[in-house]
Amino acid sequence: MAPDLAALLGQVANGDDDAFGALYDRIAPTVFGLACRVLRDPGQAEEVAQDVLTEIWRTAARFDPGRGSVMAWVTTIAHRRAVDRVRAEQRMLDRQQRAARPAATGYDEVAETVQASLDRERVRRCLGSLTALQRQAVTLAYYDGCTYRQAAARLGVPDGTLSTRMRDGLIRLRDCLETRR
Amino acid sequence: MKPARPHPHTLTGAYALNALTGAQAARFERHLARCPACAQEISEFTETTARLAAAAAAQPPAALRRRVLATATHARRLPPALREPVADFPRRRWLALPAAAVLLALAATVAVATRLGGDPAARSQARDSQIAAVLTAPDATMLDTSIATGGTATVVMSLRRHTLVFAATGLVSLPTARCYELWLIGPRGDTPAGMLPGPQHGPTGPVTSTGLRSGSRLGLSVEPAGGSPHPTTTMILNLAL
Repeated sequence: MAPDLAALLGQVANGDDDAFGALYDRIAPTVFGLACRVLRDPGQAEEVAQDVLTEIWRTAARFDPGRGSVMAWVTTIAHRRAVDRVRAEQRMLDRQQRAARPAATGYDEVAETVQASLDRERVRRCLGSLTALQRQAVTLAYYDGCTYRQAAARLGVPDGTLSTRMRDGLIRLRDCLETRR
Repeated sequence: MKPARPHPHTLTGAYALNALTGAQAARFERHLARCPACAQEISEFTETTARLAAAAAAQPPAALRRRVLATATHARRLPPALREPVADFPRRRWLALPAAAVLLALAATVAVATRLGGDPAARSQARDSQIAAVLTAPDATMLDTSIATGGTATVVMSLRRHTLVFAATGLVSLPTARCYELWLIGPRGDTPAGMLPGPQHGPTGPVTSTGLRSGSRLGLSVEPAGGSPHPTTTMILNLAL
């Protein structure tokens, strides 16, 4: 049976390089896949993933199991880095040509690539249980790196409405995925 | 008229999705600091978004694994500051460079040596982790010095780990019947401390030597290929450690 991720991370914090190899194998696909989804560019995703995985290794001792799971910690770092990169890139694009990025496809693209595992299927089904606006609000922010104002503008709803939909959407997803602690 | 700001509590979702920026995020964080219910909700949402991330998992290129693991092996948490210079060794020049730069240079040397050396993977891995152990030792010390016949040696050592790592650049090339051999010189005489890999173009090493004791000196001499049990020529480096 594979060792617990938190135990592996503890070994990494103690300087065990073999444990880091094992940890890498467990978390790298999620870190890389998420970066690919947000950045839509495998080359940039690889750079971001390298930064994130190195940071995980470097800061392993800071992980606090009382505050959440290893995957929550890892994906929070990965998502923030990927989103920072998208936003820096957007600022550059806006300056250079004021060009809008290609329209995000959100849910459909998720559905298209989510197929293999039961877990993916479950996420897909749970996303499907959201209202269209909740789902678009959540996926535009999480998978496309939109700020809530950008997402509101794209969906043509007031900011306040959108922030409520994001929260409602996550509450429904949380209950559907049973990630309540 | 300005639209009403959303109530902070409704922003937990946007915050968990990283959709707040700058001033908005700062304002929400101030609210968060005194809203345990918000903190609890965000903690739950973070577990939820972790599942969204997992649903996007994709196999990364194999090269990424090599790069990340190489970084983790060689760039480990930096050792503390260098020891104060010792005035009475004129030949010895304590490094003025920041430790990080030297470690990175050494790590690059390791990477090159690993690629070119053709060592069996296991041996090279054991050697790499030995090097990492020295570089990360709390008492790690670094120094560099010139070699009498030409070239510069860099030594990183840890008395606590009884180990040193030796690397050199610009060594004079030797005929194939000769090699460079390292010595640890203590009160009980000389002990062979390893031979430098050849040919010596550009960087050489790193070579690790164990059995380091307080008061040891490090020597380097030119020996017949295959090495000698004791030095047979004059030391071209004789360094107090």
